[in-house]
Amino acid sequence: MLSRSAERLYWLARYMERTENTAKLVSVHMNLLMDLPKGVEMGWQQLVRISGSEQEYYEKHKVANERNITRFLLTDASYSGSLFSSLSAARENIRTSRELLPDEAWEQVNEMYLFTKCNLDTIANRRSRVLFLKEILKGCQRFTGLLSGYMSHNHPYRFIRLGRNLERADMTSRILDLASLLLAESRSDELRQYETILWVNILTALNALLMYRQHVRSRVKGDDVLNFLLLDTNLPRSVSRCLVEISDCINQLPNHDGLPQRLAELEGYVQAIDTHQTTQLQLRAILDDLQNKLGELHGQIADNWFLRAAE
Amino acid sequence: MKSIWENYTTDNAYDELMYSEFQPRPVSHGLCQYLNSLKKTDIDKRKIAAELAIMEMGISFTVYSDEGNIDRAWPFDIIPRIMDAREWKVIEKGLKQRLTALNCFISDVYGEQAFIKEGKIPSETINSSKNFRKECVGMKPRHNVWANICGTDLVRDKDGTMYVLEDNLRVPSGVSYMLENRVITKRVFPELLQGIDILPIDDYPTHLQDMLSSIAPQHNNKPQIVVLTPGIYNSAYFEHAYLAQQIGAQLVEGGDLIVKEDDCVYMRTIEGLDKVDVIYRRIDDDFLDPEVFRKDSALGVRGLMRAWKAGNVALANAPGAGVADDKVVYAYVPEMIRYYLNEEPILPNVPTYLCSHKEDLDYVLAHLAELVVKPANESGGYGMLVGPHATAKEVEAFRQIIKADPRNYIGQPTLAISTAPTLCKGKLEPRHIDLRPFILQGENTFVTAGGLTRVALKKGSLVVNSSQGGGSKDTWIINMEGR
Repeated sequence: MLSRSAERLYWLARYMERTENTAKLVSVHMNLLMDLPKGVEMGWQQLVRISGSEQEYYEKHKVANERNITRFLLTDASYSGSLFSSLSAARENIRTSRELLPDEAWEQVNEMYLFTKCNLDTIANRRSRVLFLKEILKGCQRFTGLLSGYMSHNHPYRFIRLGRNLERADMTSRILDLASLLLAESRSDELRQYETILWVNILTALNALLMYRQHVRSRVKGDDVLNFLLLDTNLPRSVSRCLVEISDCINQLPNHDGLPQRLAELEGYVQAIDTHQTTQLQLRAILDDLQNKLGELHGQIADNWFLRAAE
Repeated sequence: MKSIWENYTTDNAYDELMYSEFQPRPVSHGLCQYLNSLKKTDIDKRKIAAELAIMEMGISFTVYSDEGNIDRAWPFDIIPRIMDAREWKVIEKGLKQRLTALNCFISDVYGEQAFIKEGKIPSETINSSKNFRKECVGMKPRHNVWANICGTDLVRDKDGTMYVLEDNLRVPSGVSYMLENRVITKRVFPELLQGIDILPIDDYPTHLQDMLSSIAPQHNNKPQIVVLTPGIYNSAYFEHAYLAQQIGAQLVEGGDLIVKEDDCVYMRTIEGLDKVDVIYRRIDDDFLDPEVFRKDSALGVRGLMRAWKAGNVALANAPGAGVADDKVVYAYVPEMIRYYLNEEPILPNVPTYLCSHKEDLDYVLAHLAELVVKPANESGGYGMLVGPHATAKEVEAFRQIIKADPRNYIGQPTLAISTAPTLCKGKLEPRHIDLRPFILQGENTFVTAGGLTRVALKKGSLVVNSSQGGGSKDTWIINMEGR
């Protein structure tokens, strides 16, 4: 497998995962806001905050309202983190690696891209936005499913899994970051009152509500949710599970050099986190650190496989 | 409701499907019956369905313009072009004969040069051809085949004769569109295809793979095949990716390959360097190897020619094969067939006036307004004069261009090339078409059943190139026997 192809597939998967996560996040947030009474400090600006793009947002918009933020996150082609930008980048990566993938995969991504391009304006309206996001989520699932069912689980597939899980771990840690804000001591009584609704929505954003109920078997509580989403090794979107997947791919790829060792360290680091014992501030520091470590892991993967071209 | 055939005319050219507005040729009976059974709105629906399929399948080509490179959807006409298999059999034989002779000629040019020594072609014609590569002299590719993949353009004149217009021996393109056109037709007219005995075309990738395997350096029975593309911004990138996928080859760019001190070609993989045996290259000779050809080429691979000459890698088509893809050399192909194969040509050439000959030049200059004049080495329909469609001013300007460089120009009579019904704004209108079959030659020779029919979508236009407003049609070779 060409190093260049490995890199393109890895990024294809990251961008598709990012597309799905963005769609999911906006969609869950809309639901959440419909449940909460007006005036609770849980607004749209939180979404910009966890995507780490506050500065860019406020350069473009004065007000953080629903209309501006959904446009920014979903359809702004000049913001590289928007859903449309992610999908466009995914399409460019798959367009240039079609020889490695089943036809249907290309058609799926291309269809989603064309669909989005035709619907850029409709997302201003809430109802059509709901339909739009639903369609995108369906498309992402179809993409993942048809690769799993139509493609050999070979090296190219491993690079796709690698990209997907790294992106996923990163997104989960960002969502937990948002969640940790809710634990702030300074939170209002009113927010405390609706806390359960918030946690349920966090679980929903990561498709983890049912699994939480089955596994944790207690009412939805903040620190339990955090623990579950960080440490459970069976839940597809928990940080630990993502690391298991990454480690599995890395071990099966050739020339993995020192990577398995580094990954074992990272897994150990995550397992040592205990949210029952940490304050909100400590937790935020841990999550920041975790995001940096995931960034380093990306760098090591790139050094190890993508830059071999320079040899 | 008005008929979609209203005012259809077959007066100006041979029509492939119709004797007249009301009378289809025998090959198109089934199609016409079917079309007449559809409502006009149904036909429009099919057309929209085809356009959607093309968008979703992402069948595109790139147009270069001042505003940057734009990916355009492939313009496709849903009405197929149809030919009787009995006629096709003869054409197929003619195409094989022609490519065999052309390969004999190329081998000869880089070997004994008997054809030149016996005065069959002036040595000047070869030496002045910009596609003659002196670096290739003495090379002997496997099976003595230099042009492994050929796209030959055929046109039919008013009297029904099928002529060879040109042989594309460098990096002919279009075969992916031929294959995709059939896929779209199957989607759009499934009920129609069931009732008609159409020769299949989807075995092309298998034959391509077999051919490429057959030219691998001898010591290898499971060769590593790659498709070498100039990159994602090339107008035919879609095709490069498509073909690589279809034959299970790696699609590589120049930067993915490296030639080591052992004169072998390797590709850079996640497992380190991996040896390459066969390269289906879609890069022109000029850009192939900066060590030998253009020094400024960033697309090619340094040392590739060294590896090829050492016999460590096969290149399809072989460098230098383009020497026979020259509109002056073209004029000598019938003679090549007689000389090398001792046969009479099955497919005729279009009568050609070589401006390098004084007599021919005088004739061309005197009849510019009636002739088509083409440069010897351009492709894509660029830099040519269509006399009857040009203004007096354009004709005069072209006269000076020819005089300045007669070797580089040829003249041919303007053929009334054939037409086929084409859907234009909900009605059928005759549009001019050509046909590009693809011929593969390695250990064996293979011809596609039909080929890519290109259609000039603009009324009256004779230019079918996609870069200049051309589209394409699915091409059906129909088995009529037993009917």
